[in-house]
Amino acid sequence: MRVLLVEDYPPLQKAVAKGLREAGFAVDVTGDGEEGLWYATTNPYDVVVLDLMLPKVDGLTILRRLRADGRPCHVLILTAKDTVADRVRGLDFGADDYLVKPFAFEELLARVRALARRAYCAKNPALRVQDLRIETPTQRVWRGKEEVHLTPREYVLLEYLAMRAGEVVRRMDIWEHVYEFNAEADSNVVDVYIGYLRRKLRRPGKPPLIHTVRGRGYRLGGGE
Amino acid sequence: MRTSLRQRLLGWTIGGTALLLAVFAVVVYAAIERALVGGFDDGLAATAWAIAASVKEEPGEIEVEFDEREMPEFRSPDRPAYFELWREDGRILQRSSSLAESGLDRRESAVGAAAFYPLALPDGRPGRAVILRFRPRVENEQEGEDEREDESAAAPLVVPQLITLVVARETAGLDRSLAMLRWLLAGAGGGTILLTLLVASLVVRRGLRPLDALAARIAGIREDNLSAALPEAGMPAEMAPVIRRLNELLARLEEAFQRERALTADVAHELRTPLAGMRSTMEVALSRARAAGDYQQALRDCLSIVCQTQAMADNLLTLARLEGGQTVLRVQDVRLAEVVEVCWRPHAPAVRARGIAYENRLPGDLDVGADRDILAMVLSNLLANAAEHTDDGGRIEIDGRSAGGTAELAISNTGCRLTPEEAAHVFDRFWRGDAARADTGAHGGLGLTLVERGVAALGGSVAVRVDGGVFAVRLTLPSPSAP
Repeated sequence: MRVLLVEDYPPLQKAVAKGLREAGFAVDVTGDGEEGLWYATTNPYDVVVLDLMLPKVDGLTILRRLRADGRPCHVLILTAKDTVADRVRGLDFGADDYLVKPFAFEELLARVRALARRAYCAKNPALRVQDLRIETPTQRVWRGKEEVHLTPREYVLLEYLAMRAGEVVRRMDIWEHVYEFNAEADSNVVDVYIGYLRRKLRRPGKPPLIHTVRGRGYRLGGGE
Repeated sequence: MRTSLRQRLLGWTIGGTALLLAVFAVVVYAAIERALVGGFDDGLAATAWAIAASVKEEPGEIEVEFDEREMPEFRSPDRPAYFELWREDGRILQRSSSLAESGLDRRESAVGAAAFYPLALPDGRPGRAVILRFRPRVENEQEGEDEREDESAAAPLVVPQLITLVVARETAGLDRSLAMLRWLLAGAGGGTILLTLLVASLVVRRGLRPLDALAARIAGIREDNLSAALPEAGMPAEMAPVIRRLNELLARLEEAFQRERALTADVAHELRTPLAGMRSTMEVALSRARAAGDYQQALRDCLSIVCQTQAMADNLLTLARLEGGQTVLRVQDVRLAEVVEVCWRPHAPAVRARGIAYENRLPGDLDVGADRDILAMVLSNLLANAAEHTDDGGRIEIDGRSAGGTAELAISNTGCRLTPEEAAHVFDRFWRGDAARADTGAHGGLGLTLVERGVAALGGSVAVRVDGGVFAVRLTLPSPSAP
């Protein structure tokens, strides 16, 4: 899941980005409203965490522009403005959630996860594809009754595929939703990680979970 | 003892009315008494002259032709009147039969004029008397056609003797009338005072009703509805100035409350952001087991947040003291160039490293009358601001001059990205220019606010101007000679 964090207070920006990355999100960070708007309109973020008081372009303007452009990303406003009027204005401008500083980091994380699920119309925090079970809050994965241990990168990839289970997912989509903006390496890294995942999920006597759709992309479960 | 407006108004109204009524009653009584007594005396005098007219002197003989039967009042057995006639030698000539053996008092009086006086009648009743001293008519034998001859004959003239007449009559009727008049006046006066009291208390209560209404409205004012001004409409003209002053006071109060609320909101907002930073840093650090270096980094991050927050708290405190006038100024002659030098020193190396040109044209002998600490606070904030916001390879200029009782100091730097509209806000508390928003500097949006309040405390003024990317601050401070 890919997250954009627009926050101008450097210590907070640093801590939140670190925490989100450790939770498996691909996080792009900026402290500048203008840059934030550019990031948000040129990349398909699942969730945007948006401060309101920003240099150059303020948070509400970014939000309005995103909504006017028809961007479907979920926006969580993270601000020190705490009055009811502020919250109502933020939500009425098209925000999906509103969290007041200071906040518990766990809560921010849970809200971002919830917004990410909503991006794929998934309400259940536990994802199931055939005999594969993913518990998103704890990031644990089982095939049948046996737990599968994944690295954070492998987990993020699997979660994304599971969110879109049964669909053919283009390699470009995977690239855009799982990796950060300035991640080095090219999209071949997707094929490499798909290979790792296949190996870890393979169980003798059970059908493969990840299918390659030639010329189009990958599909988790479903199909023939 | 609190004085009551109502009681005072009533007191003065009643007191004034009573005094007026008393004066009025005395005048009226005196006039009527005078008229009544005058009428009574006229009656007495008429009777006395009638009796006097009946006295004739013939040579050697005085004759009283008066017949009591014509005036039965002197014979009445019940409440009679009295008269008594004396010869010049004091012998009684005649007296009314009502007198029997007793006599009447005589007073001295002029001849031919009636004089009146009160007296006790012989039977003890109060009465009033008239005394008349007159010479009776002279009756001659040769009267009529012989008169002319008598004149020529120059017969010896008879000089009539002086007769004294006193007529007395009881005054019961007069006294009754006067007593009734007194009662009437007293009763009318008392009644009028009672009615006045009633009417005046009604009027006063009605008249003071706007005061009660105002009091009720004032009582209804709470901290949260200070802006609801008291209505001037419907209030008497005399209260308009009071209400206006009250409304002005309320407006000032409201302003102060708003300032306080704004400050509280600002401070809360400014505290929340570093708190959020610290909390997230710690929570993320604690979320899993880490290497010692990671914890050290998290602690360093938190420490730097704490230091910034502490600086903000210090600045707020300084600001509050400057605004509250709690700062004790020790004004002395201060050489401006020295303070600028000291305040610039910490910034010099970094500025030089960024290729910024620093030109100080401040005259070495320019002095100001100022508190050295506050002046240093002001200049170090201004210079830090300039050092921070000048673009790499830019320019900082300092100049100064003495101008009629004041000293002017100008600090300007290039690289300013503020619009003139934004520049108008630089002295606002917690306002940050966009370029400075992400800045972790210790000023936290208070630096220029401190400058403004500090300069105000020093009795000077400060203005900024943004022109073509140059941010120029102009400080005006009192010269040492200025009081």
